[in-house]
Amino acid sequence: MTIDATMVGRSYAAAESYQVGREKIREFADAIGDSNPAYRGDDAIAPPTFAFVLGSRALEQLLNDAELGLRLDRIVHGAQKFSYTRPIKAGDDIAATATITTVRKAGDVEVIMYETALTTVDGEPIATSTSTISHNRADA
Amino acid sequence: MIEVGTELPPLTVTFRREDLVRYAGASGDFNPIHWNDRMAAALGLPGVIAHGMLTMASAVRVVTDWLDDPADLVEYGVRFTKPVVVPDDDKGASVTFSAKVDKVGDGLAEIDITAVAGEEKVLGRARAVVRVR
Repeated sequence: MTIDATMVGRSYAAAESYQVGREKIREFADAIGDSNPAYRGDDAIAPPTFAFVLGSRALEQLLNDAELGLRLDRIVHGAQKFSYTRPIKAGDDIAATATITTVRKAGDVEVIMYETALTTVDGEPIATSTSTISHNRADA
Repeated sequence: MIEVGTELPPLTVTFRREDLVRYAGASGDFNPIHWNDRMAAALGLPGVIAHGMLTMASAVRVVTDWLDDPADLVEYGVRFTKPVVVPDDDKGASVTFSAKVDKVGDGLAEIDITAVAGEEKVLGRARAVVRVR
C-alpha cells in the first residue's frame, strides 16, 4: 500500500472529541518550559502549539489508513502553521478533522501536506493547523 | 509603540534528553527518533533529535513573553530546516531565538523569528502575526 495524489481530499475525523483540562494545559506548558501565567489556573488558555496535540487524534486516524501505509517511525515533520480564531481554553471540548491537501513523491520519500480543522463540538471554529510531513519508505 | 524594526527580547533554551521525554509524554508524540538512538540512525538522522514541535513551542515564547496577552497571537508558522540533535549528555543542545517586527498595519504586526543552534538556523520562515492595540 502506498500514498499518491489520488488520496488528496481524504478526511479523517478524530474518533473522540478532546476535553481540554487545566491540568493538561499546565503539564504541556511545563513540558515546553513556559511559565506564562496565562497557561495556569481556572481561566487558563493553552500555549499556541497545544493545537497540534488536539490535532494528533485526527492524524492517528490518517496513519491508521492501511491504504496509505504510513509508519510513524518513518515520518519527519517538515513544516507547521497555525491560524487561530481564538485560544484553546480549559473546558473546551474539541473536534479535529484532518484532510490531505497535497502529496508529492521524490523516490522513496513522500511529502504530504494535511490541514486539520479544530472546532468545538458545537461547531465554533478554534484554529486551523497546516502540516507538512516527509515519510521515508526506503528500507532501513 | 510597535514599529517595523522593533526587536523582541531574545531567549536561549537548552534541550536535554530528559526534556524530550517530558515533551513526548505531555504531547503524546512518542516517535522513537526523539528518544532512541538506534531508531534515529535507522532513519539516517545524525542522532536523536528534538521534536520539531518542541522547538516551535520554544520559538514562539519570544513573541508570547513580549505580548501582554498570548491570546493576541493570530497566526504562527515555521519550517523545520535543520534537526536539533540532542546528545545523551548533561549539556544537551542550546537554541537561541530572536525576533523582529517586520510589518505593521491594520491592527496587526508581523514578526520574523530566528532560531540558531550552534552556527545553524534550525527554523526557516518562522513568522508570527499578532494583534496590536
